[in-house]
Amino acid sequence: MTRHDVSPYATVMDDSQLSGRPIVVPGAGPYGGDLEIPEPLVTGAKKWADVDRDICMHAEQFPTKRWWLAFSVALCFLGLLVFSLITLFYAGMGIAGVNQPVGWGSFIINFVFWIGIGHAGTLISAVLYLFRQQWRTGINRAAEAMTLFAVCCAGIFPVIHLGRPWFAYWLVPYPNARGPLWINFNSPLAWDIFAISTYGLVSLTFWYLGLLPDLATLRDRATHPWRQKLFNAMSFGWNGSQRAWRHYESAYMVLAALATPLVFSVHTIVSFDFATSVIPGWHTTIFPPYFVIGAIFSGFAMVITLMTFMRGYFGMKNYITLNHMENMAKILMLTGMLVGFAYATEFFMAWYSGSAYEGFVFKNRAFGPYGWAYAIMFTCNAIIPQVFWFKSMRRHTLVLFIVSILVNVGMWFERYVIVVSSLHRDYLPSSWGMYALSRWDYAILLGSFGLFFTLFLLFVRMLPVVAISEVKSVMDPTVARGVPAKAAPSPMPAALTGGIPATALQET
Amino acid sequence: MKPTSITGVLGDFHGPDEALAAAARVRSEGWTHFDMLTPFAVHGMEDAMGQRRSWIPWVTGGLALFGILFAQAFQNYVMVYDWPMNFGGKPHASWPAFVPITFELMVLCAAIGSAITAIVAGKKDTVPQPPPLLVKTGATVDRFVLWISSTDPKWQADAAQRFVQSLGADDVRLVEVEGANHA
Repeated sequence: MTRHDVSPYATVMDDSQLSGRPIVVPGAGPYGGDLEIPEPLVTGAKKWADVDRDICMHAEQFPTKRWWLAFSVALCFLGLLVFSLITLFYAGMGIAGVNQPVGWGSFIINFVFWIGIGHAGTLISAVLYLFRQQWRTGINRAAEAMTLFAVCCAGIFPVIHLGRPWFAYWLVPYPNARGPLWINFNSPLAWDIFAISTYGLVSLTFWYLGLLPDLATLRDRATHPWRQKLFNAMSFGWNGSQRAWRHYESAYMVLAALATPLVFSVHTIVSFDFATSVIPGWHTTIFPPYFVIGAIFSGFAMVITLMTFMRGYFGMKNYITLNHMENMAKILMLTGMLVGFAYATEFFMAWYSGSAYEGFVFKNRAFGPYGWAYAIMFTCNAIIPQVFWFKSMRRHTLVLFIVSILVNVGMWFERYVIVVSSLHRDYLPSSWGMYALSRWDYAILLGSFGLFFTLFLLFVRMLPVVAISEVKSVMDPTVARGVPAKAAPSPMPAALTGGIPATALQET
Repeated sequence: MKPTSITGVLGDFHGPDEALAAAARVRSEGWTHFDMLTPFAVHGMEDAMGQRRSWIPWVTGGLALFGILFAQAFQNYVMVYDWPMNFGGKPHASWPAFVPITFELMVLCAAIGSAITAIVAGKKDTVPQPPPLLVKTGATVDRFVLWISSTDPKWQADAAQRFVQSLGADDVRLVEVEGANHA
């Protein structure tokens, strides 16, 4: 007896029927034991054709009032970003808060923050793909889009941090009329250029490759000939041919295998910006893993934030179920504990190294003038996610949402602590100083959220927010097929159905 | 009215299992220019259709090697030959410092090259297909559509149509397009 013969999936209509535990069918397993089957990833007894309708609907109808409201708020913040950037370029770096000795301020903090957020998308699509975590199909499209938009936001900050952003193209090693004068390939800042741009391009490729079959779905649903032609061109004339799927699947696997080390490399290289310096508190070997795990942590928090909106406002509860949210909460708790472990290790190494400067920096971090930032960071990142030890908390949407916001706040403060507390007091007490964000720093930070949400809101209106073809592949064919099978499976004794109505089980 | 010509036959199945069984039958009956259009990648379809494993990983490997060699050659050219500079007395050819960019360029070349190759291969390494804008197969919704192209050496329109019907397919239809046969 196979899983499909006993599928109780047709009876699971919504989150209230999901428990996060396997469905047990007593006596239906091999050798007469119990059969445990995982709960369905898609609820509501959806058919394959329903998936198209539910997901494409948002890209095909006129946006709702709620969308316009959210979009106008996001646009206002985007306008704030544009206005602040113009002011910054016009007036110069003097209007930002950076000065001696804190020469790296909110721009670098925001850069690391956004790049960190951008890590979850590719982690979900690549790492969870390699680990055969099928629940990723419900969230990977939106998470990958989130990655792209977060990388867009992150990309702004190193450029404006240059002070003279009109020379940003000097960072690219191309044959030029200045010598040619090349960049210094020994510099971690040059490595960063390659890491971030590779990450952006590979994430875009991975996202677009995943979109191809769904763009073809949009084409086949389109009624206007221009829309059909547009989506046909965008999907490169995809028609679902197995001869194309064969290469497609292979390339997708290869991309996942390449993107996995790429995810880990990007934040490793970002951490090199700090770790290769000689500033106490930065010059540590723990930085690469510490940054990577923090990035995954903050990225998953942002995914939970966005998925809460998608469940609530876009009616995706059948595709992004509470089980998906619980899985993400588990990852959030695990990475939160790893981040907490890294905080503890830093302190241990500061003491164990016997370096007076290192020891001072860490005491100063936790109890110095920026101790409040350290307290916010530690509470939000290491303590609050511990609520997810309780299943009821992992499955409570409001708790998930609040914790995800707090983790985002905590992770911003982690970068604040790393950047500011190390710089403001290093070796020489005579060159100590303090740092505060100026109003333009705040405006640009808020504005970057405007850019992020503007792009995300445009995405949810224009493209399928859930990977349609991948979701179809994890649905039970006996429930999802359009036309009933010709040969019905043999009827099952009621004793084997584990209390599930036998009629539901035989719906094939 | 423009002349039309038959380019192949389509037949619908409604589940992956039927599609796998049908593909295996089509193959064992000696057809070669056939395809199965599916809403998602069906596991085991490669075997059922008698396809070998995709050769994309070889392309990936080659491109990755190219990325490594290019990055190493370029960085050494710049840092050792074209404009050598002394940074803190370190050697010009400081290969460990070149590792991050070498890794990134390897991933960049391999990933983007593989994706493009896969898309092109899906168009070229195939049999003539029904044009997606003219023929709505339903394969992007919930149909598993068998397609036998008229370029198949065994092709005879009536026989092909009867054969697809004998497999238990629904809605078996010949595809006619305007203009001469594409074969």
